[in-house]
Amino acid sequence: MSHKLENYLRTHRRRAGLTQDEVAFLLGCKSGTKVSRYERFRRRPPLETVFAYEVIFRAPARELLAGTYQRVERTAVRRARLLAQTLRGGKQNRLTTRKLAALNAVASSVDRTQRAKR
Amino acid sequence: MSFSPGRITRVLAVQPTTRGFGFAVMERPDGLIDWGTKEARGDKNKQALIHLAALIGRYQPEVLVFEDTETKDSRRCARIRLLAQEIAQMAIKLRVRTRRIPRRLVKHAFAETGPTTKPWIAAAIASQFPELSRHLPARRRPWMSQDVRMSIFDAVALALTHYGRIEVRES
Repeated sequence: MSHKLENYLRTHRRRAGLTQDEVAFLLGCKSGTKVSRYERFRRRPPLETVFAYEVIFRAPARELLAGTYQRVERTAVRRARLLAQTLRGGKQNRLTTRKLAALNAVASSVDRTQRAKR
Repeated sequence: MSFSPGRITRVLAVQPTTRGFGFAVMERPDGLIDWGTKEARGDKNKQALIHLAALIGRYQPEVLVFEDTETKDSRRCARIRLLAQEIAQMAIKLRVRTRRIPRRLVKHAFAETGPTTKPWIAAAIASQFPELSRHLPARRRPWMSQDVRMSIFDAVALALTHYGRIEVRES
């Protein structure tokens, strides 16, 4: 099974029939050079640009930057599990229980999404 | 081939032409990621391989699909046959699986859509992927040579044949 591409900006742009220069104008860039770099995965768009892309293509950022999202999601879940493990080893009180519930929810929601995808 | 909706298998399909090649990148039978033509001048095969290596590097496909030129009914010229061999060798080097699909199989896969002529298959693909409709060349007259853009549709047809699923839509 292939992993997702870093981003699908080129696909969305071409589906919309826009040129790189036109997207650059919409994003407020001087030319299509930056757009080309985003599309060839040579440069990561800043947060403002990601939101602008969301508006232009009417697609969520997690879909536009699917590969990046997947990578960030994996890291966040791994860190959530680690933190949960650390908390379980420490002193238990009501606050810890609440934290553990939140951290477990993070991991289980991602697991559910992945199972559904399969 | 069974295909679950969540699973993605990235396929890069290429169709060599007299001036380079047409390509299509797909992740699912309904997920066209990129498409286009690449021009090769001078040493055409060498240039084509350079372009193809760049595409493989960018999209990291699981499977590289191209026409089987070794079959008896293949009418491709010697240069294209050699290019097909070179593509296969390059794919081995880059550790990409290859699948060679004879033209006969593509025609068989599209048999449900109507006549299995090149323009008909291209029209069926354009109806399935509206983003490709602007690339659909005008009807070729007997005195005209094949439009280079037709290679995009040939590449998509190869990819769809690989997935083994062609949606028939009323156009």
